[in-house]
Amino acid sequence: MSMGESVTSTEFFAEFLDDYFAECEEHLIAARRALLSLEASVDQPQADRALLDELFRSFHSLKGISGMVGARAAERLAHELESYLRVMRQGEATLTPEGMDVLITSVRMLEDVVSAHRFQSALPDISPALERLAEISCQKTQPSGQIALAKVGAARALQNGLSAEEYARLEAARRNGLKVWRFEFSPSPELAERGVSVSAIRGRLQKVSELIHAAPLITSQGGVIFEFIIATHADEATFADWSDDGLSYDIYESPPSFPNSVNGSESMNQAPGSGLSRAPAQVVRVDLQRLDELMRLVGELVISRSHLETKLKRIEVSLPPAEWRSLQETNLTIERQLRDLREGIMQARMVPVGEIFERMQFVIRDLARESGKEVGLELSGRETEIDKYLVERMIAPLLHLVRNAVSHGLESPDERVAAGKGINCRISLRAFTAGEMVVLEIEDDGRGIDCEFVAARARKAGLLPAGVTLDEESLLNLICAPGFSTREEADRASGRGIGMAVAQRTILELGGSLALKTQVGLGTRFTIELPLTLAIADALIARVCGQTFAIPQSAVREVIEIEPAAISVLENSEIIQYRGGALPLLRLGRFFGLAGEGSQSLYAFVVGSGSNPLGIVVDRIIGQREIVVRAMTDPLVQVQGVAGATELGDGRAVLILDAAALARSLTTYRRAGGGQKKIEEGGRHSAVRGQTAMGRLKRSNAERRKQTGKT
Amino acid sequence: MTDSKGKSDSFILFELAGASYGVRSQFVQQMEMVEQITPVPNSPAFVEGVVFSRGQVIPALNLRARFGFEKIPYDLRARLIVINAGGRVLGLIVDTAREFVTIPHDVIHPPHEAITGLSGDYLEGIAMLGERIVLILSLDGVMDSAAGVRPEIDAQPPAVSGRLESGARPGLKA
Repeated sequence: MSMGESVTSTEFFAEFLDDYFAECEEHLIAARRALLSLEASVDQPQADRALLDELFRSFHSLKGISGMVGARAAERLAHELESYLRVMRQGEATLTPEGMDVLITSVRMLEDVVSAHRFQSALPDISPALERLAEISCQKTQPSGQIALAKVGAARALQNGLSAEEYARLEAARRNGLKVWRFEFSPSPELAERGVSVSAIRGRLQKVSELIHAAPLITSQGGVIFEFIIATHADEATFADWSDDGLSYDIYESPPSFPNSVNGSESMNQAPGSGLSRAPAQVVRVDLQRLDELMRLVGELVISRSHLETKLKRIEVSLPPAEWRSLQETNLTIERQLRDLREGIMQARMVPVGEIFERMQFVIRDLARESGKEVGLELSGRETEIDKYLVERMIAPLLHLVRNAVSHGLESPDERVAAGKGINCRISLRAFTAGEMVVLEIEDDGRGIDCEFVAARARKAGLLPAGVTLDEESLLNLICAPGFSTREEADRASGRGIGMAVAQRTILELGGSLALKTQVGLGTRFTIELPLTLAIADALIARVCGQTFAIPQSAVREVIEIEPAAISVLENSEIIQYRGGALPLLRLGRFFGLAGEGSQSLYAFVVGSGSNPLGIVVDRIIGQREIVVRAMTDPLVQVQGVAGATELGDGRAVLILDAAALARSLTTYRRAGGGQKKIEEGGRHSAVRGQTAMGRLKRSNAERRKQTGKT
Repeated sequence: MTDSKGKSDSFILFELAGASYGVRSQFVQQMEMVEQITPVPNSPAFVEGVVFSRGQVIPALNLRARFGFEKIPYDLRARLIVINAGGRVLGLIVDTAREFVTIPHDVIHPPHEAITGLSGDYLEGIAMLGERIVLILSLDGVMDSAAGVRPEIDAQPPAVSGRLESGARPGLKA
């Protein structure tokens, strides 16, 4: 099936493609990770076998799925990568720096190709990558190289008794947290009589462990004993009393002759919630949308329960106390359970922040190479979990901060030597939770930010009055001021001075904060705090009388266009024909008392439950956005029909409609005689302009009179 | 913030309808230009709307309206003073705000009994700075009596709805 063919069901294909891109991302992430670890094997006689296997599998899968959806370029590239890996696994080529480079560039190209497919942009030219891969796959090593390989292999067999295969299994078992033991079984006639033979022992061991290796050994006296190497979760107590059966055992240390995986300063251990060490069968990939839907359902449950509570309160007087109390108890239990459910779903959206850190590794490596700086990366807290939405929003800001650190913060090797520092620069990425917040730190041990220099720049640009000194907070705000840059020209990595502004804005939008600590000559540290809990929703954006509103998409059953002529008036309410029934309308502009003419064309959001639909009438529908819901907690602005506020990117607050409350209000609104809703205090803001207190009082009296006259 | 002898406090001064007011700086979170206030329908008249401040949505109160003065259009000198007090964060819209002064306790007098009317509830005291009179704002006053008026849309006395539902019309026998 090629991309150009028409498909019978576009929806099905679209979903299919979504799966493809999601799977690609997974495999590419795994490949990236393996490549970074593989770097340590460059120019070693034998590359880490497990890593080669992993890369091979990733490329093999990528080839397969790309072929299935007809992504030809991706398929070809993955195919060449797979071939190269095959050649390496067969031991017919060693990993040279050039080979490493080819791998990395090709994987990057593969990412670009998949991205181009996804966003329908121009495909990059993959032929150079294909050529280089083909070339390097054909490069066999010198015969001497091969002999060297064989020699090492043999030495290993003698030394540890493990073949490459067994060694790989051993490492895999270790990664899964199993302990490795070495058993020696000395057979004897007495044991044989009891039925304790080597096969019995073998069977026994296999019952409690994974048997990695078994071999006979010749003792110095010429006798034969058997060596077993096993990996198990079982406690030592299990085999403590097997010594009666001729068994001795010891912890097995694997030989140090192989380069270990280098993954920053962190070991891939089983931290709770660590996505890295869970066996595949225990992980389910879930569409974020499904989780959002679950959240929405929980939200509705919460509302229903509060209605229940209100009604319970009303009947308190008419029930015997014991019965009422028991009802109330159930009500409270439900409240508690709902809260737990809500938290559970929030938890399901959490992913380890290590995902982001990995992307950074790649970027830092490249930048360091380009700029000729020696950079070491320290990671900590990769298992710290944050909401998936946050991960996606934070990638760009973090990338920017990291690029800044490498390009501006870190010094060249010469500068560092001159400053008495070691040649190796260090960048640290840390993540941890602190109460209700997640904290991310980006720290470098570079040259720090020169406050005076920045201040001078700022004064020249008129951003800072003379005579005012900078504290760290003001320094940060300056650096984040759009267009402010201490570079004369933008360089590729850091852009034209808006990166920090956008980064800071994004962080603030997410309800977080950014702080800066710096010292000239010592380095700089950016600290980002983000809230753990977020309320995010898909929303539809509409305009009413010149004002913008958002309504959660989950509350909207349908969006319809209304012909003004089709509106009929029935006892103070407007209705239209809708799906064989009558749909009452609520003109939002009128209900909210907004000034301004409505438009000629009308649209409505159909909300409400099956038997009680309502059409909320607006002027225009602008589009759909994912929004972060901010509560409006102050009592002054808690208003019926408004559920909170959000921000669409320009810093202006946009009110979020509460569809259910509006639906409830409609009934009351109609009963009150329709028309314009007012409160005693003083009516519309726009109408109050230019009036004195007395004038205001007169006006609202007049309107009150008008209203009562209307009924 | 008081000095070591505890005899003076620092204040942010602002102008409103020709008078100078002072608000204790310990409650002032920040000061901003007035821009892009989103009106909130059916809220009290002196609530101009809401704004985002440091990622939080806060109400912006028009102090002129609050005190019963005539409202004027905003110009570049108008300021939003973000107050953080008693667990609430609010913004106060004033004509201008530029000064930061330290006022010793002994020049602050309690409000004169003769000052009545709307303004009276919001004053903590009056300070004489030389020739100049500075009215010291009582944040409790501004925020307390601004405890919010919730439009009672949902609360219908049962009797009324019952009557309407039965479709009773004047002149008809039930």
